Order: sequence, then C-alpha cells, then structure tokens
Amino acid sequence: MRRIERLINLIAALLEAHRPMTAEEIRARIAGYNQTSHAAFRRSFERDKEALRAMGIPLELAPGPSTGGEAYHIPKSRYYLPDLDLEPAELAALRIAADAILGSTDAVRAGMMKLAADSDVPSSPGRAGGGRIAWGADIAAEQPLLGPLYAAVLERSPLAFGYQRAGSDSADRRHVEPYSLVHRRGHWYLVGRDQDRDAVRSFKVSRIQTAVETRPGTYTVPTRFDAGTHLSGEAWELGDSDSGTATIRFSESLRWWAEQNFAGAPAREGAEGALLVELPVANVDALVSWVIGFGGEIEIVEPLEIRRRLLDHLSAFTDVP
Amino acid sequence: MSENPYGRLGRRLQRILVMLPYAIHHPGVSVDELAARFNIKKRDLVDDLNLVFLCGLPGYGPGDLIDVTLDEDRVYVEMADYFASPLRLTPAEALVLYAGGTALSSLPGMENADALRRALVKVRRALGRGEEGNGAAVQIQLEGAAGGHLESLQDALRDTVQVEIEYFSASRGELTVRTVEPWGLIAALGRWYLVGLDHLSGEERMFRVDRIKSVSVLDGPAPVPADFDPGRYRGAFSGGDGDLNLTLEISPSAARWFEDYYPVAGGETLADGWRRIEMVASGERWAATLLLRLGRDVRAVTPESVMDASRALAERIAALHRG
Repeated sequence: MRRIERLINLIAALLEAHRPMTAEEIRARIAGYNQTSHAAFRRSFERDKEALRAMGIPLELAPGPSTGGEAYHIPKSRYYLPDLDLEPAELAALRIAADAILGSTDAVRAGMMKLAADSDVPSSPGRAGGGRIAWGADIAAEQPLLGPLYAAVLERSPLAFGYQRAGSDSADRRHVEPYSLVHRRGHWYLVGRDQDRDAVRSFKVSRIQTAVETRPGTYTVPTRFDAGTHLSGEAWELGDSDSGTATIRFSESLRWWAEQNFAGAPAREGAEGALLVELPVANVDALVSWVIGFGGEIEIVEPLEIRRRLLDHLSAFTDVP
Repeated sequence: MSENPYGRLGRRLQRILVMLPYAIHHPGVSVDELAARFNIKKRDLVDDLNLVFLCGLPGYGPGDLIDVTLDEDRVYVEMADYFASPLRLTPAEALVLYAGGTALSSLPGMENADALRRALVKVRRALGRGEEGNGAAVQIQLEGAAGGHLESLQDALRDTVQVEIEYFSASRGELTVRTVEPWGLIAALGRWYLVGLDHLSGEERMFRVDRIKSVSVLDGPAPVPADFDPGRYRGAFSGGDGDLNLTLEISPSAARWFEDYYPVAGGETLADGWRRIEMVASGERWAATLLLRLGRDVRAVTPESVMDASRALAERIAALHRG
C-alpha cells in the first residue's frame, strides 16, 4: 500500500473514531500499518504523525481508554475549516491580494485553495478579473518558525526557546508568553512577556533557535495590548543600553526628510537653514550605521562620544582617525 | 527536521483533502471542471480519485470504503462524510494571507480595500479558535506612508501617467528631480518602493517612497511593459545595469547577522572563522555604504574601485565630524 493511502486512512479513522485510538489499535486496525513489525510500525507511525502535523492536521494526544497509555485523535472542531462566510466580493479581493504576495507561493496557493474551493473565484493565481497587478508585497514569510510562533500566539501557549541576542556569541534560554508577531523593516519579531524578566520584550525571529518548545499552561494578553508601542521607532531606539539622546543636523537641502519622517521629534532651527532634531538613542551602533546611509548629508552634532564612535568606526577607511 | 508540507506527497494530500469536499457537495461534477478548479491535469485527478477509492474506515469492507463513481465524465463521491469540509488553514498559510493582505489593504485608493479588510477579519478566524479579540496578533509596519505620496502614486498608476518626483538619491547623496513612468508599488524590507522607468537614467529603477520629497502627477503617458512582474522585485532587489559583482570577507561577528540583512549569492566560511561573501551590489555607492557600515568587520574587497569609493565616502562623512 502506498504511503498516501495509509495517511488518508489514518486521517479518516482518527476523525471518525468514537474515542481516541492507542498506537496498538492504530497498528491493528488501520490499513497500511498492520503487516509490519513493531519497530517498523513505530518508525512509519512517527513519520506519518510528523507529516500530518506539518500539514496543519491537528493530530492530538489524549489519555488512553483504560490502561492510562496515550491515544490519538483528530478533533473535528480543529480539523475542519470553519465556515468563514466569505462573500464573493471579499473572496475576489483576497484573490487579488494573494496574487500580489511575493514569495511563500506554496502557502498562499494552499491557503487560497482551501478558502476558494467552493466558490467561483479561481483558486489558483493569475486569473482574477484579468486586470493588471501593479502591486507586490514581500513580507518575508518564508521563515519556517513563523507558523509555529503564530500558532502559539493564537493558542496562548507559553514557549521556551534559545535566543541569541545581537552581539552575543551564545544563546540563552527564554521563557515567553507570545502576544504578537510584528513585521518591521523587513524582519519579523515576536513580542511577548518574558516570564523570567516579568516584562514585555521583543525577539527577532531570525535569532530564535529552531527548536521552539511549547510549554503547558496558558496566559492572557493584556487588553488593548499594542505590540507596536513595544517595537516602534527607529533601529537605534531599540537596544539594551540605557537610552540617551543625540542631536542630528539635517542640512537645508535635507530637512524636508526629517520633517516628513520624524514629524513628532523635538527639533530646532540651526544655522544656514539646517534643522536640528533630537532623537532617543539606545543602540549607538545602529545610529552610526544609519548616519552612514546618508553619506555625509547629516551630522551627529552631539553627544561627543557618538561623534567619536562614528570616526572610530570609519577609521578603517580614513587616513586620519 | 519536520517534513515539508508542500513536498510531492504533501501537495497531493492537501489537494485531495480540498477536492473531496467539493466533489461530495457537487455530485455529478465533471472531471474537466474539477481539474480546472484545482488546477491539475485530468490524468492526475483520475489517479487521485482511483486512490481515494481504495481508502476508508477500519473494516475496509464495502460499507467502509469511500465510494467513488466515475460515470462517463461525471464524478460522484459518497461514504466520505468525514471529508465533506476542507482542512483548515495552517498557521503559516493564515499568517501569510493575513499579513500580505494587510500590507496591500493599507495602500490608499485600493479599489477593493473594504472587501479585502472584511475578508482579512474572516481569515483571522480561519484557525477556528473563535478568538475575535486579539486583532493585534499580527502587525505589519511599512514605511513610506508618512508623506502622503502613496496616494498620488496610486492615482498615477491608475491613470497610467508619468510623475515627477523630488527624490533623495542615496547613490548620489543629493536631491534629484526626475520623471518616472510608474509601473507598480512594492512593499519589501518593511517599506514601500515605487518601481518604474526613470527618465533620468533611462533605466528601470526602484525608489524608496520614504525618500520622495514631492510627487507631481503629469499628463505624459506611462505605458507598462507587458511583461511587468512585481515578483521580480522580491527583497527590494532589481537587477539593472548599475549592478556589480562584489566579493568581500566579513568577520565572525558580522557573519551572524549579515546574511539576514543582505541578499547574498554565495558564502563560505574560511579557516580563521571569517566568511567570504559573494553578492550583487546595486552600484558603487551602495557598495561603499555597505563597507562603511561594516567598518573593521570587512576585508579583502574586490573590485578595488569599491574600496576607492568607500575611502572617498568615509572621508566626506568624517570631515563633518572631526573637531
């Protein structure tokens, strides 16, 4: 029997079973498992469980019938797509948006196939209305941890994972109650309560080590929690060092940029039509990097230490330090 | 490592689990319609149906197996009520649709934005937790909306007309005025970009919307090339004539983050822990900025012209900050 048949049989049996099935029952009763040795059965069953879970099929453990061992089932309420009641116009709009998502092609295709299966909206890309797609959104959703992290956010499952802070050589173990996922500057961040520090922290997803462990228990997200307030502002405002402020001079020709992008920051007029803007700084390296990006059009006026840090940073490329 | 849900097996199984509910609810649907709807070859669909025919519930007798009838070109599936609804979205599928849709719905002047927003609220429910409250579960922050320029650019795109923009060009380090034939708006790296034909350089360019000072919508026509494909601008990278092949070595500490941030074509770790990187840089000035950001964490750069550009740029920035 082919593996795909065995998987379909497994899903069917665990969806329909009146009570959870033990591994032995699965081996004895489900077609495709019965003819193998015990060890071979364990191996195929482990692989099959993993394959189904990777596909989002909620294969769950439950207490066994009498012996107290573990048994398996697929709760219908968590297997079936709930009726989302998507109207045709909503589905059509979603189809257009899905076509404009750059990357994650498989996930987008599979998702739309499920949502649009029973509608007249095409479930595969490129055929919606025939209009030209002028937009694209690359939200870097390939990162494989996003699925499990999002599941934890939705299920309010506390997590434990290894996390390597910027500039650190090793990872430390963090225990986190995930509140929210934020995409910012092309990167994903998990925002949640760090249980050991008893404070809300943000974690760059690319620095989370792959073995994320779901821990028992649950928690509540504070009402009106806004992840954005924990992860707003510029890169140099986020850091582990104490915050200070820096004054940046935007020349007359570039002051519009600050006026447009730092509308709320304290600012004063400087000489020769320049604008002096005061910015909070918690990560000096990130500020230095940002200033370099303007290629000599903006100047760190104060504090002196940051000016020196910039010069020091550039000294690999300049003759005079 | 967990199994790839979109490998050969995964794709086929997922397809079957979506196709079956449709066939169950539409007895007598034609093979052609099913194949077209699920975008598969007729032969593969018939294979799928023949496969399902062998599956069912323990017992596997006539009353337990899924009953598939192919009558002429008509498909009937019975005895499979447990497959009468599709499998829910995976968290990864729900996230990418929600996040991507949210990014696009934030564009001003999108024709179907209201319908899209309503759809996204429903997608948020698609995991079946019945949790309405945690709307903040996913947040997409995109720069470029602050100046109100997106609205004018959307107008120009809709009317396929040219725009004149005042643009702070990082590669020139100055404000430039340029006429652009807009082709599209792309969100990447957390910000909006305008893509189009730039009259100043005569080439296709990407412009960061947050670096646009002003937009004037002009009358001149802006035909969009028939082969324009937003998918080409993933990671805010557009291959153009200004590109150069850059090789550099970065320190172990820079190696930890570098490939997160920059599109890298190839990399290998050297005996002393440094890492040799090959990448395509969009012009010398861009490459020089990259090297200065790396500071002492970079060595062995080729071509040499990039080192010259880096020294000149470093001198310019340093001159402002000495004394």
